[in-house]
Amino acid sequence: MLFKKLIRTIGRYKAQFISMIIMVGLGVGIFLGFNIEWKTLEVNVAKAFEDTGFADYRIVNERGFSEEDLKKIESIDGVDAASRFLSVNVPRKDDEDIVMLTVSENISVSGFKVLEGTPYDPDDAEGLWISERYAKQNGLSVGDTYTMVYKSLEFSGPIRGLVKSGEYMICLVEKAQLMPDHEKNGFVYVSPAYMKAKVGMTFYPQIHVRSDLPKETMIDRVEAALGKSYMIVDKELVTSYAEAHGEMTEGKTMAALLPVIFLAIAILTMITTMHRISISEKTQIGTLKSLGFKDRRILRHYAAYGLFISICGTVLGVVLGLGIGYFFINPNSVMGDYLDMEHWELHMPLWSIAVVIMINVVLVLATLYSVASMMKGTAAEALKPYAPKAMRRMWIEKKKVWKDLSFATKWNIRDILRHKSRSFMTLFGIISCMLILIASFGINDTLNSYIDDFFENSICYKTKIVLDTEQAGDADVAALIDRYEADWTSSMGVQIGENTYAMEIYGLEHEYFRFVKGHGEHIDLPDDGVLICERIAKKEGLKVGDTFTVSVYGTSEKYDLKVADIAKSISESVMMSDTYAGKLGVNYQITELFTNETEIEESPIISSTQTKQALLDTFKSFTELMNVMIVMLVFISVLLGIVVLYNLGIMSYAERYRELATLKVVGFKDRHISRILIDQNLWMTILGVLVGIPAGIGVLKILLVMLASDYELTLTIKWLTYLIATALTFGVSFIVGVMVSRKNKDIDMVEALKVAE
Amino acid sequence: MKIVEISHVSRVYKVGDHEQKALDDVSLELESGKTIVILGPSGAGKSTLLNLLGGLDSPTSGTIKIKGQDISTLNADQLAEYRASGVGFIFQAYNLIPTLTVLENVALVKEIAKDPLSSHDMLREVGLGDHMYKFPVELSGGEQQRVSIARAVTKNPDILLCDEPTGALDTETGIMVLKLLQRMAKEHGKTTIIVTHNQNIAKMADVVVHVKNGKIKEVINNDKPLAVEEVEW
Ligand SMILES: Nc1ncnc2c1ncn2[C@@H]1O[C@H](COP(=O)(O)OP(=O)(O)OP(=O)(O)O)[C@@H](O)[C@H]1O
Ligand SMILES: [Mg+2]
Repeated sequence: MLFKKLIRTIGRYKAQFISMIIMVGLGVGIFLGFNIEWKTLEVNVAKAFEDTGFADYRIVNERGFSEEDLKKIESIDGVDAASRFLSVNVPRKDDEDIVMLTVSENISVSGFKVLEGTPYDPDDAEGLWISERYAKQNGLSVGDTYTMVYKSLEFSGPIRGLVKSGEYMICLVEKAQLMPDHEKNGFVYVSPAYMKAKVGMTFYPQIHVRSDLPKETMIDRVEAALGKSYMIVDKELVTSYAEAHGEMTEGKTMAALLPVIFLAIAILTMITTMHRISISEKTQIGTLKSLGFKDRRILRHYAAYGLFISICGTVLGVVLGLGIGYFFINPNSVMGDYLDMEHWELHMPLWSIAVVIMINVVLVLATLYSVASMMKGTAAEALKPYAPKAMRRMWIEKKKVWKDLSFATKWNIRDILRHKSRSFMTLFGIISCMLILIASFGINDTLNSYIDDFFENSICYKTKIVLDTEQAGDADVAALIDRYEADWTSSMGVQIGENTYAMEIYGLEHEYFRFVKGHGEHIDLPDDGVLICERIAKKEGLKVGDTFTVSVYGTSEKYDLKVADIAKSISESVMMSDTYAGKLGVNYQITELFTNETEIEESPIISSTQTKQALLDTFKSFTELMNVMIVMLVFISVLLGIVVLYNLGIMSYAERYRELATLKVVGFKDRHISRILIDQNLWMTILGVLVGIPAGIGVLKILLVMLASDYELTLTIKWLTYLIATALTFGVSFIVGVMVSRKNKDIDMVEALKVAE
Repeated sequence: MKIVEISHVSRVYKVGDHEQKALDDVSLELESGKTIVILGPSGAGKSTLLNLLGGLDSPTSGTIKIKGQDISTLNADQLAEYRASGVGFIFQAYNLIPTLTVLENVALVKEIAKDPLSSHDMLREVGLGDHMYKFPVELSGGEQQRVSIARAVTKNPDILLCDEPTGALDTETGIMVLKLLQRMAKEHGKTTIIVTHNQNIAKMADVVVHVKNGKIKEVINNDKPLAVEEVEW
């Protein structure tokens, strides 16, 4: 019998039940979705690294390592495997594509996995193993011949296999590049035998090491083994590792922030709604009690409602969560463009299942709590209808203005204050909606203004020429500078204390490169000090006017530098003028040229060229990743707003049903009554928007720190963003207001006033 | 003058396939300024009749004229206007708005009525001058009913419609409320229609209408209506 009642009750409160299921579904779905996102990355990225022997440390020596060096490293206690390694950017013959020509002596370190074709053979002196992604994009398959140009020689051979490599999981050929371009860039592995056949001796500037040793120990032991200190890069600084883990951290942050809002709203809505339902069921609860049903039996009956909602919600949530997870992490997603890895199966952290179960328990407990308070005391007491708290006079009523308010305004004010939890929930819903909108549009604004401020203001050249530092003599470089009327830069590794940064020396006669700070304000490169980037300033605790010491890698050179200003920079770098470098007597070799020419003739000393447009394009596709997220967040927050407000709206409507009917009887028109209801909605929305804006800015600040501290972004929110977010929030609130208030046409006055409650 | 003219009015409720005739071809004319009591057993159709007169409900067939105006053909907005100025309702369940004070409950009709009276005066008239700033829950049942009478009269309508106005009150309080009702009707010259199944109340009426099974059984004119004090309760 009670089961029939359950079904009918659900039918009666259809709208509430559906909106609660959606709320729970959204909460669970977003929780699972975001956790699936980072967990999937974690598992699959780890697998990709494991499969291809991703190195833990890279020992770097611009002058190359000998076979003896390798033996010494291999014999270090705690080193599992080591391999001499070479990776150079080379152009494809008669093409603009740049691929990374790679040799790893010991393929179990920084190697690859063959997806198609024949396995790697270290003695194969002809074949190439080429990036599967690049090959697919360029219509290359196993057996085709591929040709590169390296040191003015043609490196050509049949493709033996299509492969993936952890080393090139994020395949960037250029440090200012943010997104890989799989059509133009890839990597090609050849064997040491191949190199030997082509150029005789291979020059290996790196030794890759697999080892569990901590960094300090590693540094000490390498120094002991080789008798000299070398730059040692641990995997945290390698793009593929750092960025893939950055994505996981982002995912974890989002998973920790966003779902909390939704789950909180779901649980709070559940409590308010179940409270409301049990109020209107109070006499029924009393009746059941007086009929002789035990409290426990009745509680069990009502727990079934909570269980019904949370199970339906959870099912919906799991589907949604998998959907969201897949949406973010699949080979065809923006993430799939970013990460080149083999496996994309979705994974879910085990504990998230426990959390979902806990959410269900909490929801059922919330239901029980609401019902239990309705059946306190004897059956007779339970039979009495719910008596709302007595009205008390409020401070505002003592003010003069109160008297002049219309009755509708007074009624609304009292209604808001009387149903505090409902009003609070409404406000919370609107604030959340506004907050998510502001934060997500704000990310977009911030990124766009970063592009505008930084890229547009700072990069004034048309083409950047990357020099081959082994080939380029000073005279050759000077000739190139003359020929292309170029500016130039030199980059070297330096240490401040334990930390490694880049030091860049600039010769900027034509101002093809400029420095900016804040919102794109231009700073000149001083001749008596250096610019440091915001991140170095923060990490090293440096202010303008401070002096600090850098030591150049692989040398004993040390310089004391004065901070002249703090600038924005893509990489973590110290920037100085050639004049200042000259004063200090720094030894440097020019590594890159900036020019306004677009036609750059091929030359043995040029390793690659890159246009500003190409750079901008990669940044644009990076923002696409953000845009996908933003579109989803906007959609979700609008949906959230509608569901929460609608649920509370019909609750408020049900609570005031008798009062509304009375107003109708007294002679108020439907339109008038609608306006009163919409007015209340409007006030709450205005308040919610006013609170939501600073809250959104706050969340955005946190997000920028947590998600994008690598990019020296300056928080920017455009007026249009405030406008759109406010308009959307008001739109949502207005639509819901109209939806709810239209119901008052259907108020049956006779019916509403017939039974004296 | 005829203030109410009901002719061949039926109100049929559809309950599933079954038709329930709450009112069945009822015709009735009532004079202005009189006190009319509608008597009948439970389920007779009294409330249905009153609700039709009050514009809360529309007849399935037939016409209802109030002061010569046919209200059975009005649309929702026109009906609201009619309720706002033409009739005042007093229910068994008071139907006050709990979040408004006594004064506000009465004053709210001033926003819609065409020619309202002073709500302060009215509350003083019903003896609640000291309770104006209280909330309904702080009043007794009788006091609440007095607020609802004040609210109905403040609209300054021609007709007061009362559905079991004393139904929820004890006898003594009931008498007080009736006295007030009678006085207000006299002083302000209202036509008062009271629905009840209390025979005694009928004694104070100018006209008693007996309703049963959705039909009017008889209409009795009472030449000597008693004042409330004179009725033996
Ligand atoms: N909404 C409805 N649906 C179906 N039937 C209804 C509805 N409202 C009233 N009725 C029926 O109409 C008839 C008249 O009802 P009405 O409320 O007018 O009676 P009443 O004379 O006021 O009775 P009481 O003295 O108990 O208040 C009853 O038989 C009732 O069952
Ligand atoms: Mg009745």
